[in-house]
Amino acid sequence: MTDPWSVLGLRPGASTDEVKKAYKTLAKKYHPDVAGNSPEAARRMQEINAAYDQIINNKASSDSYGYSSSYGYQEGSGEPIELSAAVSYINARRYKEAINALNSVPYEKRTARWYYLSSYAKYFIGDTAGASADIQEAIRRDPSNMQYRAFQSRISGQRQQYTAYTGTYGHPSRGLGGFCLSLCMMMTFFRFCFCWI
Amino acid sequence: MFGYVTADITNLTKEEKANYKAHYCGLCHVLKEKYGSAGTSLLSYDMTFLEMLLSDLTDSKETSGTERCITNPIKEHRYITTECTAYAADMQMMLAYYSALDDQADEGKGSSALKKTEPYMKELAEKYPRQDIVLRNELSMLADDQKRKIKDPELLSRHSGTFLGEVFVMDEKSFFRDDLWALGYGLGRFVYIMDAWCDRKKDARKGIFNPLPADASWDDVKEMLISAAADASAALERLPLDEHISILRNVLYSGIWLRGEHSKEKRR
Repeated sequence: MTDPWSVLGLRPGASTDEVKKAYKTLAKKYHPDVAGNSPEAARRMQEINAAYDQIINNKASSDSYGYSSSYGYQEGSGEPIELSAAVSYINARRYKEAINALNSVPYEKRTARWYYLSSYAKYFIGDTAGASADIQEAIRRDPSNMQYRAFQSRISGQRQQYTAYTGTYGHPSRGLGGFCLSLCMMMTFFRFCFCWI
Repeated sequence: MFGYVTADITNLTKEEKANYKAHYCGLCHVLKEKYGSAGTSLLSYDMTFLEMLLSDLTDSKETSGTERCITNPIKEHRYITTECTAYAADMQMMLAYYSALDDQADEGKGSSALKKTEPYMKELAEKYPRQDIVLRNELSMLADDQKRKIKDPELLSRHSGTFLGEVFVMDEKSFFRDDLWALGYGLGRFVYIMDAWCDRKKDARKGIFNPLPADASWDDVKEMLISAAADASAALERLPLDEHISILRNVLYSGIWLRGEHSKEKRR
């Protein structure tokens, strides 16, 4: 399969901003409003979406869009049906469905891998607290798995990144005290700054 | 629940300020067109954020104009509307309606927001059944949890997260559906917890339920807030945004903290 960078017309390792710009330019070009409802345009759009997803989310760096390689899942590996269903849902970016599939596995049958997949799906629906708890459990059960550890540092990195970035605005780093501005004060504040009343 | 998702305008450039204000006025313009003065009185920065986010994501075409308005009758000002402004205006009405319902249950007061929005709710519920059902369900569940006096702000905040997540998904078929949902989910949780913190004294005085423990410290609350905000920001950074990204970032990394700002020492 094509490499995601060339799909977006970029050199490998281009910056995130460049990836986003390239994506938007191409998305405009193949939008049904511009390109009509041609199957070719739809196929191109799918490819562009997949490439974007792969680069931005650092997904399976291998040859194809999909997670089979990153999960080490192979057909016929004897994985429980619920887990392979969850992998398919994750492949299709249907994380809520993936969680539903995983939840149908009885508690006593949950493995380290179950916790990893659950953590992965929860992370992408924005439930970081749930994702952290699950990845911790996956590591507890299988401490030598590097993939689990890498994912854990990705989750905790998100928080660090946020706090580092807020510091650049000066506000939250000052400690974000406990006094709440009343709505009334907010209004005055905005009125003053924009001078529109 | 409104008023938290705003920009920290001291950190915006002159151009960004003008752009932000023009989108705010654009939302006001559309609210007026669709809902008259009942609509404009509910105008918020929160939905301006949603409008700018969706417009940037979908590369929505901008229409701009100048007008005078009731808050600024002398000077003409510029407004910008996009294909997403009407959606933000509709969501403004739905959120205002449901949060007024919630207030009524909490404090027993029938608010003017309820009267203003009620006449439009049937039409809006038919137009947006997905958002409507989630809003309705999550608010009932929240009311239930509050009745049972569950003192767990993170657990309770998931209801606000879930409905705001649904509201952020304008188009369910969008490739970015899940990222938009996650962004709304993080913000909804943030707003709920911040609101609980800001209202804790007033609630205690009036005997209204507040999910925070009586001895909750700002440091505990801040931890929860940072994690919700970090989830929202991670989702924002995954989206292909360029036009309004610096304003959107400003809101998430700084603006949302404004109402909880000022030092603890000041309080004592």
